[in-house]
Amino acid sequence: MLKRMTDIYEYRDMVFSLVKRELRGRYQKSVLGMLWTLLNPFFQIIIYTFVFTVIFPSSIENYYIYLMTGIIPWNFFTEALGQGAGTIVSNAEMTKKIYFPREILTIAAVTAKFVNMLLAFVVVLAFLLFSQVGISWHIVLLPVIMFAEYLVALGFTLFFSAITVYLRDMEYIVSVLLMAWIWATPIMYDINNLGQQVGRLLLLNPMTPIMMSYRNLLYYHQTPTLRTLLGVLGIGFVLLVIGELVFVRLEGNFAEEL
Amino acid sequence: MRPENAIEVRDVRKNFKIYLDKGHMLRERVIHWNRNRYERREVLKGISFDVKKGESVGLIGRNGCGKSTTLKLLTRILRPNGGTIEIQGRVCSLIELGAGFHPDMSGRENIYINASIFGIKAKEVDRRIADIIRFSELEEFIDNPVRTYSSGMYMRLAFSVAINVDADVLLIDEILAVGDNSFQTKCFNKLKSLKEQGTTIVIVSHALGQIEKLCDRAIWIDEGVIRQEGSARKICKEYLEKMEASRLERAELEYRMQLEDEKRKKEEEERRKEERKQEEERQRQEKKREEEQQRKHEEEKRRNASCRKIATQCGPDARRNGSGEVQFTEVKLLDAEGRESLCFNTGDKMTVTMKYQSKAVGEPLNFVICLTRDDWVFCYGNAFKSMTKQFCMSKKSGEVEYTIERLGLLKGKYFMDVRLQKPNSEECYDIIYSLFEFEVKSPGLHEAGMLHMDCRWEEK
Repeated sequence: MLKRMTDIYEYRDMVFSLVKRELRGRYQKSVLGMLWTLLNPFFQIIIYTFVFTVIFPSSIENYYIYLMTGIIPWNFFTEALGQGAGTIVSNAEMTKKIYFPREILTIAAVTAKFVNMLLAFVVVLAFLLFSQVGISWHIVLLPVIMFAEYLVALGFTLFFSAITVYLRDMEYIVSVLLMAWIWATPIMYDINNLGQQVGRLLLLNPMTPIMMSYRNLLYYHQTPTLRTLLGVLGIGFVLLVIGELVFVRLEGNFAEEL
Repeated sequence: MRPENAIEVRDVRKNFKIYLDKGHMLRERVIHWNRNRYERREVLKGISFDVKKGESVGLIGRNGCGKSTTLKLLTRILRPNGGTIEIQGRVCSLIELGAGFHPDMSGRENIYINASIFGIKAKEVDRRIADIIRFSELEEFIDNPVRTYSSGMYMRLAFSVAINVDADVLLIDEILAVGDNSFQTKCFNKLKSLKEQGTTIVIVSHALGQIEKLCDRAIWIDEGVIRQEGSARKICKEYLEKMEASRLERAELEYRMQLEDEKRKKEEEERRKEERKQEEERQRQEKKREEEQQRKHEEEKRRNASCRKIATQCGPDARRNGSGEVQFTEVKLLDAEGRESLCFNTGDKMTVTMKYQSKAVGEPLNFVICLTRDDWVFCYGNAFKSMTKQFCMSKKSGEVEYTIERLGLLKGKYFMDVRLQKPNSEECYDIIYSLFEFEVKSPGLHEAGMLHMDCRWEEK
């Protein structure tokens, strides 16, 4: 396992260049180019703000801020898992012909989406600054939560991308799963408005504590306890290890199965 | 592992699963849950060899013999099912060129991406980028997007990256056929100079000339086992001889198969031709028959219609037939007063007059009259010949009269057929069935059945 880790570390430049390829390559032909990574979340927030102040006014105060502190991190998770699950299959030619630690492809896919989220957070912070919610010192803890989410996303994506090689339906199952998952996570609603039972049930979802932590930092300006911070990091590590173990178990026959 | 060796391969085995019905879809997986059948095909059946440091070795063999698999095992893309592979030093494989190239990004950026996939750090590429660009001869285009490159330029760039990598062990699969002749020579020379610098090279190729020139040693793999190994020159020669022999064998086999094929095709063709002919014949006959039938049908219709012309009293079901050399021209059914009638009483006089026309004169003719009841019971028949004991000799046109003095039939509905018969034969010149449909009444008679007889009851 240690050898594997050093092997992946040796190939870190491949992650960087694949991420760069993904980010630069995607908008290469468009006029506005990389600006789209900022414009996309910007317009998303504008649209949500319009919908939830004019069409369905919500009882939650500053609901659009509430929403976007959940939606933007969730977008990262959805995109990472939704597209990352098929990444080994879509890079079949490369996988069949060249040796590199196969995790690199998945890591690169998730990391590219992560960078997207970081850029989107520039927009989020700008909105926060100009809204009544404002920014507090708690923001320094934001990277910890982001890192935890990265670990969770990577764990799940490793798991599903390896399975997709053997069972191509997995890609579509994942997209259906994600459709349901967004409602099993307190993004659009407040978990405290639910009953005790349901709330506890939602805590089984590893994304729930992560989303709540984002909220606490950015919306409620609450200091998380050390236990919460370690908790989300712990969840992240456990999921990553599980994902990696499954990946390693299945990886041996990739070149033959593809 | 011995220190002088760069590669040690020990008894390596590799199987591939050949799925009989490969189902990646959930549906198929569920349906064929325990029926995921596959065959194991042994591609490598235990091969062992060493490659010394700085040595260059060529793997040769026929298509599908397992040499590319061996190379993939060396690069760790595939894992052996048995045996061990040990490699010392940094491995670089030139199996797939241009991996990870993004068409919209520039040549320079793609060099970094491509190199990173080979496991080369960006820093190292920084150091070598000038070499790589120079080698590719793409200085002018290096900052253009790769999609604008011709395929030759694309491959040149890809090859330049791959070959300018610092590696202790270089694995190459059949990729020297890149670019034009001068570029190929350049690549070849580059490989030679790498070899002289002490790089270990394992190369898979069908270009035996290149192997002979570049490699110290050749390993001939045949059907998953090492058949021979030794100096490149010797092995290549033997391999070539064997290949030539099997090529000839194969060519002969193919020639024979071709001949057989042609023969079969010819036979098939002939058979088909024959069939087509038969079919045509059948169709023609069918058509003829149909036409015949059609003609007959029309003739019949015409003839049946002609019944009406020759007899104004003609019944609705009259059917006419016959060869037509002699034909009726007028037939009448008359009562005692000589009037046309279709209604008689038992005991009435009945006369049938028949006019005819003949093509030949002096032919013997026989006239026949038959009566049938409406339930198809034949009642009565009479012929000219049987009563007069002679034939009627035909004239150009003539008339015959048949008279029944007292009609013996009891009441009912009857049909009359008239016939113009050829003597001593069943053949008819003209025959009209059911020409007349007439009614018989029996007022004052109390007999039952078909016939009236002169009779009386007496008590003695």
